[in-house]
Amino acid sequence: MAKKTYDLLFKLLLIGDSGVGKTCVLFRFSDDAFNTTFISTIGIDFKIKTVELQGKKIKLQIWDTAGQERFHTITTSYYRGAMGIMLVYDITNAKSFENISKWLRNIDEHANEDVERMLLGNKCDMEDKRVVPKAKGEQISREHGIRFFETSAKANINIEKAFLTLAEDILRKTPVKEPNSENVDISSGGGVTGWKSKCC
Amino acid sequence: MDQSFAVQETLSAGETCLAISFRKGVNVNARRLHTVQGILAAEEGMESRLLSLVESHGKSMICLYTHRRMAITAEDVGLDRVLLIQEGFAVEEVTLEDGLQIPGSDVTVQITSGGTSLLVQLPFGSHTQMFLREVRKRCGPGHKDATAVDSEWSTSGEVKAAPRPKTARETVHLSHVPASEWTQDLPTQLCGQRDGLLQSWLKQKEDSYTNLQSFRFFVGTYNVNGQSPREGLQPWLSQEEEPPDVYCVGFQELDLSKEAFFFNDTPKEEEWFKAVTKSLHPGARYAKVKLVRMVGILLLLYVRTELAMNISEVEAETVGTGIMGRMGNKGGVAIRFQLHNTTVCVLNTHLAAHPEEYERRNQEVQDICARMQFHQLEPGHPLLAINGHDVVLWLGDLNYRLEEQDTEQVKKLVQARDFQVLHQHDQLKIQMDAKLVFEGFQEGEISFQPTYKYNPGSDDWDDSEKCCVPAWCDRILWRGKTVSQLGYRSHMALKNSDHKPVSAVFDIGVKVVDEKCYRKAFEETVRSLDKMENASIPSVTLSKTEFLFKDVKYLQLQVESFTICNGPVPCQFEFINKPNEDSYCKPWMTAKPREGFLLPDSKVVIELELFVNKSTATALNSGEDKLEDILVLHLDRGKDYFLSVSGNYLPSCFGCPIQTLCYMKEPIREMLPEAIRELTLMPLLTDDAFWDEKPLDIPKELWMLVDHLYRNACQQEDLFQQPGLRPEFEQICDWLDTGTLDVLGPVGSNHSVAEALLLFLESLPEPVVCYKLYRSSLECANSYKMSSQVISVLPKCHQNVFRYLVAFLRELLKHSGKNHLDVNILASIFGGLLLCPPPGHTKPGTVEKQKAQQFIQQFLCQEESTV
Repeated sequence: MAKKTYDLLFKLLLIGDSGVGKTCVLFRFSDDAFNTTFISTIGIDFKIKTVELQGKKIKLQIWDTAGQERFHTITTSYYRGAMGIMLVYDITNAKSFENISKWLRNIDEHANEDVERMLLGNKCDMEDKRVVPKAKGEQISREHGIRFFETSAKANINIEKAFLTLAEDILRKTPVKEPNSENVDISSGGGVTGWKSKCC
Repeated sequence: MDQSFAVQETLSAGETCLAISFRKGVNVNARRLHTVQGILAAEEGMESRLLSLVESHGKSMICLYTHRRMAITAEDVGLDRVLLIQEGFAVEEVTLEDGLQIPGSDVTVQITSGGTSLLVQLPFGSHTQMFLREVRKRCGPGHKDATAVDSEWSTSGEVKAAPRPKTARETVHLSHVPASEWTQDLPTQLCGQRDGLLQSWLKQKEDSYTNLQSFRFFVGTYNVNGQSPREGLQPWLSQEEEPPDVYCVGFQELDLSKEAFFFNDTPKEEEWFKAVTKSLHPGARYAKVKLVRMVGILLLLYVRTELAMNISEVEAETVGTGIMGRMGNKGGVAIRFQLHNTTVCVLNTHLAAHPEEYERRNQEVQDICARMQFHQLEPGHPLLAINGHDVVLWLGDLNYRLEEQDTEQVKKLVQARDFQVLHQHDQLKIQMDAKLVFEGFQEGEISFQPTYKYNPGSDDWDDSEKCCVPAWCDRILWRGKTVSQLGYRSHMALKNSDHKPVSAVFDIGVKVVDEKCYRKAFEETVRSLDKMENASIPSVTLSKTEFLFKDVKYLQLQVESFTICNGPVPCQFEFINKPNEDSYCKPWMTAKPREGFLLPDSKVVIELELFVNKSTATALNSGEDKLEDILVLHLDRGKDYFLSVSGNYLPSCFGCPIQTLCYMKEPIREMLPEAIRELTLMPLLTDDAFWDEKPLDIPKELWMLVDHLYRNACQQEDLFQQPGLRPEFEQICDWLDTGTLDVLGPVGSNHSVAEALLLFLESLPEPVVCYKLYRSSLECANSYKMSSQVISVLPKCHQNVFRYLVAFLRELLKHSGKNHLDVNILASIFGGLLLCPPPGHTKPGTVEKQKAQQFIQQFLCQEESTV
């Protein structure tokens, strides 16, 4: 009977334009709930959730970033150290989809080279307002060789699946090590950011 | 008894090592030495060895010792061979071909080192696990622990050629491991807490994922009076129709010889073990889980082989209560284990003899309860006591007698099988009823005649000289909610001893885990843990995250404040530096306080101060810098918040270069930002022919200030020595930045205008005497001729300003009778403003200041015609 709370710690990051639903995606996954009022994330937030994959308990530490353009230079500095990045757009917002290539460039420039990427087309419950066809999302993800899901935080579509798939992809690349609590890196378990002031 | 002591005695001083005593419950510092007894598979069969992990002069090795059954001193052990822990060293657990893998049974390992390969069987339990863990620590890649020990020992280890003097004191001293040394090694991690919490919660929910399932336990006790088994034990062990699931079989007085007493060494162990194994119920196959013996007290635990997989956490311990309260002729042995999810502790005790010693027997039970403590496999877990188990089975020769001393009377009652009456005289019953011993324990009704004392070989009462009163010495008690006794009897058929064996059969409800329910409970618990962890992430609310500073002026402080309201988690907050920047905000901003600690639900007001001074004004004037910034408020172990700062700066002549101002024909506030930018970034020209438009000779703002002073303040007492008034300074600034030449001057006092002049000169990004001429100016400070030459190479506008100011100051000196100014005062004030060391230069010392003063002084003292 496995009693250890977790064997591995994965740090994931949510990025994408403001208003595409990053916070809602995270809230759905961590608390299985949805909030309709829009509160713009002004900063960096994170939550944890423990999942089990291939008999291993994996603690996911998921960072939610501010999407507003004026914060981009700062938010990119949080990319470092992330093992997986979820790039979210809104299927009812063409601009958010057009910006995908810009976000992908950001990842190339600022994230670890071996970071697992994933594209999410969120708000797929709002079919009547859709402006980005699913095929376009599939096409761009094919071009960049990354996974793609259409999700809805509101209707709880594909949220869990997306996170588990991303975690699985990371796990596949993780060298097999005996689960040992002493080896689990928890130094970053409590919100250590990508950079920190030196003068304290 | 810990055999490490014996090994320790053979080591020299350089190999000083600390032994381990599990019995004492001292936490082990196993880095130095760890000893286990193992069975070595040799060509001629199995041989016993002591395996010792020894660290000597920076090297780790496993030493194998031959030994007497129970090694106490160095004479009892002999070094057999040494296996160095070096490259190629390996310890692997192996499964023997015919071996049945029983949890709780022995571990077989293959040890390979330098071409030698040994097969060693080690007893199951924490002792062996610790040993293997320590060995692996030293041969794995994470070897750094051992190297740390190396250095420790190479400094303190003094090599002694002579054998180490053997004194008992030293041995005792060495076994004393400071507790602090051990605790440092323990991982004090958060995830450890999480694990502990998880386990406690799962334990709490145990009912939701376990079902009680009944298992049959056979418990037997037999005082064999030092005899060897000469008759089959089936009449005792396998009388039941149904084969039991678990056998707990205890013996007392296995061996009454001196050897057994002093060396804990007896051949009888093997004999009785075989006899029991042969006599177990033929209806099932059994596996031995554990055997534990202390002198003559032996306890055996068997389970049906198919149950072996469900047995875990097997540990054995012994407590001696004999001579000195320690020796093993009296006392108890115990085995604790877990069957499915139920913890069981089985004790076999032999308590003090003699009818009148019932109080001693009570005391011994208390002692055993207090001292019997089990180690747990998980490092860092506390010792486990008897009362920490779900089920306790207590068997043995408890030696309680009958209070009725009249032998004949007792025998008569036995004859009449009036055990109820007789039981009223039983010391154990009396003591238990009075709650003086075995509190919480139960015993079944006794429906068999006393099991002591018989003439060996018969069912006849003892007729020796002593002629003991018959008694129920041999008893079986239990504690536990789910235990029900099916039978409690003696077995008259066995006649080998002066005691008769006793047995009890129990149905014990055992908590069996329902995997599906367990998964659910586990998931739920992990979810709540996650929830708890998420709730414990520090989080605050900010009353404001956007800050607008409107119409910011030079040297005019603006403050915006906001409140940090903390949530339920105490937190440490701090404005942290942004990537690739070495400050948390632009230089014109300060957050007060920058960091702090917040108690749950408390608040703090943060003030953001915006202040533009000389060092930041130029770039803000030119537009190279803007009043825009993002501050990152970081919570330790928590979130980050972004604060946006924006605003507009009203350009000012303060902070503008002289040349720029000379080209500005209108007030700076009326100029287009691009024009200000262009003029500010224009390189400093040595002559003004370059530009289309002819510049002003000197900045009009300078003229406005000086002209005002010339007309109003020449006779002002203490001019340049009294401070101005701040509101007046603000008015003067506005006048300079918005006013035109024809507008009449400010209403401010002369002192305010004089101060504004000084501040204006101070704000120049390039001083009147340019930075690059600073050094040469000081060098020629005592030669007027050379000093004049320095001035003549200044850019035209700077030259003009210099001469203009000197002329003004000389004018002031003419009125020194009224304004009390003299050459020294003016030279010292203006020397420091007109001559400034370039940025990065160390702050000017007294000598430099004097030279700057001297430089100006020359010009103030010269004949008017020559300036």
